[in-house]
Amino acid sequence: MKVKKIIAAATSLAMVASMTACADSTQESTAVQNDNTPVQTQEESSAQTTQENAETTDMTLILRGGSYAEVIKAAFPEFEESHNCSIEVLEMSFDDLHTGIALDAVNETGTYDLCMVDGSWMAEFTQNAVLANLSEMGYSFDDDIIPNTTKICMVGDDIYLAPYFGNVTVMLYNKANVEAAGYQPGDITTLEDMLAVAKASGEGVNGFAYRGDTGDNIVSDFLPILLASGGWVVDENNQPTVDTPEFAQAMNYYLELIQTGQAMSKDDVTAAIDNGSATLAIGWPGWYVPSADSAADYTVIPSMALEGAESYNTSEYGTWTIGIPANSPHPDLALELLEYIMDPQVQLESIANGGVPCRYSCLTNEEILKEYPHLETVCKALENGVYRPAIAEWTEFTNILGAEMGNIMAGAKTVEQGLADAQTQLEALMQ
Amino acid sequence: MKTRRMKAKTGMFAYRMTAPTMVFLLVMTIYPIIFTIYYSFTDYHYLKGTHPYNGLANYTALLENMYFRQAVLNTVKFTLLAVVLEVGLGLLVALFVKSLKRGQKALRTLLLLPYLLPAVTVALIWRMMLSPNYGIVTQTLTTMGLPVYNWFYDTRTAFWALLVIDVWQNMPFAFLLIYAHLQGVPETQYQAASIDGAGAMQRFWHITLPNISNGIALCAMLRTIDTFRLFEKVNILTGGGPANTTTTITQFMYTYGIKTLKFGYASACAIVMTVFVLILSSVYIWQIMRKNRKQ
Repeated sequence: MKVKKIIAAATSLAMVASMTACADSTQESTAVQNDNTPVQTQEESSAQTTQENAETTDMTLILRGGSYAEVIKAAFPEFEESHNCSIEVLEMSFDDLHTGIALDAVNETGTYDLCMVDGSWMAEFTQNAVLANLSEMGYSFDDDIIPNTTKICMVGDDIYLAPYFGNVTVMLYNKANVEAAGYQPGDITTLEDMLAVAKASGEGVNGFAYRGDTGDNIVSDFLPILLASGGWVVDENNQPTVDTPEFAQAMNYYLELIQTGQAMSKDDVTAAIDNGSATLAIGWPGWYVPSADSAADYTVIPSMALEGAESYNTSEYGTWTIGIPANSPHPDLALELLEYIMDPQVQLESIANGGVPCRYSCLTNEEILKEYPHLETVCKALENGVYRPAIAEWTEFTNILGAEMGNIMAGAKTVEQGLADAQTQLEALMQ
Repeated sequence: MKTRRMKAKTGMFAYRMTAPTMVFLLVMTIYPIIFTIYYSFTDYHYLKGTHPYNGLANYTALLENMYFRQAVLNTVKFTLLAVVLEVGLGLLVALFVKSLKRGQKALRTLLLLPYLLPAVTVALIWRMMLSPNYGIVTQTLTTMGLPVYNWFYDTRTAFWALLVIDVWQNMPFAFLLIYAHLQGVPETQYQAASIDGAGAMQRFWHITLPNISNGIALCAMLRTIDTFRLFEKVNILTGGGPANTTTTITQFMYTYGIKTLKFGYASACAIVMTVFVLILSSVYIWQIMRKNRKQ
């Protein structure tokens, strides 16, 4: 009986507390308002809101969640005020963003005014008229944008996307661990050096941390290694080149490299590099914003396999671009918003929120570089990045390749068997 | 004549009463199923918008796909293990709670908590707990000097880690259903058995189990149907890896059908899954019907 009474009293107390908490927030906001503005009656306030709502344009954006969306969102208040609009943002995971844009694309009038697009979806989206032609709408690139980052945004001379977030693969490292291994970050210039540093990591430390979940992540982490080994996933005719000596060499190297560490989720990779439980990883600038006193930093990925070997561009683009869906409900306003967030000054200010603009004026700004020296690395990487193949079948391509690479990495298949199986399936896909 | 008219009237009344449900079922279930069956015979790509008829090509491609075959095996294995463990543990816990003289209600509420959480939340909680960096399980095992595994990325542990999480979340459902059936077992039967000198095990086998067998069968059927559709936990925690050891049919459908927008292929996959679920469920339904006929 006593227990029952205690539980009943505790439940009642919890209910009252939760209601009080709700009431408090309302009271707080009212109090703040009371400090600054004359008190309005409820009717007056309601009438004003109705009038404002009647004139306000509601915009909906679909963006990649995390730091990428946060950077854009920080720029909205000023635009909303000057254009009397209200912007709602849907933050999605990589896969959900792709599906979300595609599902809405078949509607006559869509839901989204602006969307964030990964470069690897460009071919699929433009072939199926998902995106509006920005050139026809009057948009053009200025000279300040790093030219190489605009290539994936165009079909012929027509612009469909604008490069917003300069994501390009970099080598994340823990400063103390690299030093303990007897290296300086600048000394890691070959894949051989990378392996040596990973192997020299102390007991209980992961030499190399990597993502081992979805096919896309497995492939993305591996592509810079493949590039440094002189291989690539397709030839000039977009036919798969997976079962090649270069690919096998890169895969064998990668197997040795991952032996020094373990697979993790993206968040764990970043945390491990930061807390020193891992030494090296391949990642993206959007994952981590280093500062002068942070435990981790990033640098360019080695461009050659061995000392004296041929050097290649190994920075793989993952640039997040922005575009306007062809069925955008407010295309004109969407274009104004796109131009606003691509503005050099707005982009410069975005750096403080973790943004990585694709603009020389931002990435070579001396004041900015004093505070964010890592942006120099990003700028170099962006100038020479390599795009994933612009093919409509890329999602399926990575599913197949990632699955076979996963089998090899887990020891379920040999390198030869896995690559041969991948080649067969990819050839069938690309026919 | 009057009787026939009465019968017709009663029949009409029954139809009128069930009509809203029938309409709802037609719109929300039958219509999508018919369209899914139709699309499964087409090469429907969502963005292209066209869906040319391609016969059994999707089904042939599915059966020839080694990852799909692996996904089917994984799903069946996972479902069998999860259902046996959930129902078994649910039964044990229900018997234990029923035997308590005090605190039954409090324990019942506490036990139900995992089941009340959304699958996505459960997955994220466990990902944090098993994280190699800051996970409480990893930290505890390390402190105790026990081996630590890379739970979700090791082929030896990923499947079992998912199984433990699923059992942790869904065992309470089995517990609740079986516990409810336990309440219906007449106390007089136990009293009579005790007078006849029956032990605890004999009372369980000859009184408790026969009385709650329908509940156990229903619970097993519901859990089978639900477990067969396992998706969120797999998608969030392993993405089907490592080396496809945790790919379920739904994860396969998502990766190879939904993500690639090949909805014809995904529809064929969905139909195959539905057939599997129907086969598995019909075993239970058939058994219950047979039992009812005997009674």
